[in-house]
Amino acid sequence: MAPAADEAKSGNGGQIQRPFTFNEIVLRNRLTALVVDGDNFCRLLQQGILQAYGLQTQTVDNGDAAVELIASGAKFDLILIDMLLPILDGLEATRRIRAMGVNCKMLGVTAFSGERERQAFLAAGVDLFVEKPLGPEVLIPILRELDGQYPSI
Amino acid sequence: MDRNRLQHQVACMRRSLFDQGYLDEPFIQLEELQDDANPNFVQEIVTLFYSDSARLIQNIEHALNSRPIDFNKLDDYMHQFKGSSSSIGAKKVTNECTVFREHCSAENAEGCIRSFQQVKQEYAILRRKLEVYLQMVGQAAVSQTA
Repeated sequence: MAPAADEAKSGNGGQIQRPFTFNEIVLRNRLTALVVDGDNFCRLLQQGILQAYGLQTQTVDNGDAAVELIASGAKFDLILIDMLLPILDGLEATRRIRAMGVNCKMLGVTAFSGERERQAFLAAGVDLFVEKPLGPEVLIPILRELDGQYPSI
Repeated sequence: MDRNRLQHQVACMRRSLFDQGYLDEPFIQLEELQDDANPNFVQEIVTLFYSDSARLIQNIEHALNSRPIDFNKLDDYMHQFKGSSSSIGAKKVTNECTVFREHCSAENAEGCIRSFQQVKQEYAILRRKLEVYLQMVGQAAVSQTA
């Protein structure tokens, strides 16, 4: 069994305040997700995280494959897409996915952290720009919303 | 070794990994994903991180040895390395990746070479510490079920 999460301490010796942990949500519905990341490790890690929450998760390693998969009719409740992708980058892939009329929640999950990148990804069509790593404080509210656990505004 | 003493050693080692800044919040998230259904999740993810990192380090070394240096390619590789190291909570490695990318943006070859040595050093230190820590975690788990 993993050591208790509350044993972790920050660099200054104090306790880390953690508003969310991974086991704080139980999904009522079967949600589906697509992870688009060119890095093998990040792709499998994000898939592992989403599957742990109970999402049925597919992965592709480039933007072109993501566009083709969605063009073939595959539907997802959530798409995590990186900016830097081989063959077709995340910005263009996002634009093309949105141009197909896909309105699902899209998160741009990237190691880029600049304001210019954030604006570009949002302009391309992602709903949220997230600097890696994607943590529960970002993901849990989104999953609750997708699962209908919050009233829509 | 006595079970309680082993578990105490594991807890102390874990605290020091966080206190000394080698690991950060995302590693806790990995640990929380480990359960009876995924009993080796942390080890599997860490092992994948090692192989992914070895590939990226090799690519970066090759790019640094090429003449002329392709700084765009270098930046892409280090961008990937920063992404994966931050995803696992490898705080010091991630910080050194950021320094490297600053030298890359400035097309400072000497700076890139110097900071890459730091990246490799921090990665090697983290890997050694994680191997010891996870080995002890495994031993503690076995002693619990014995």
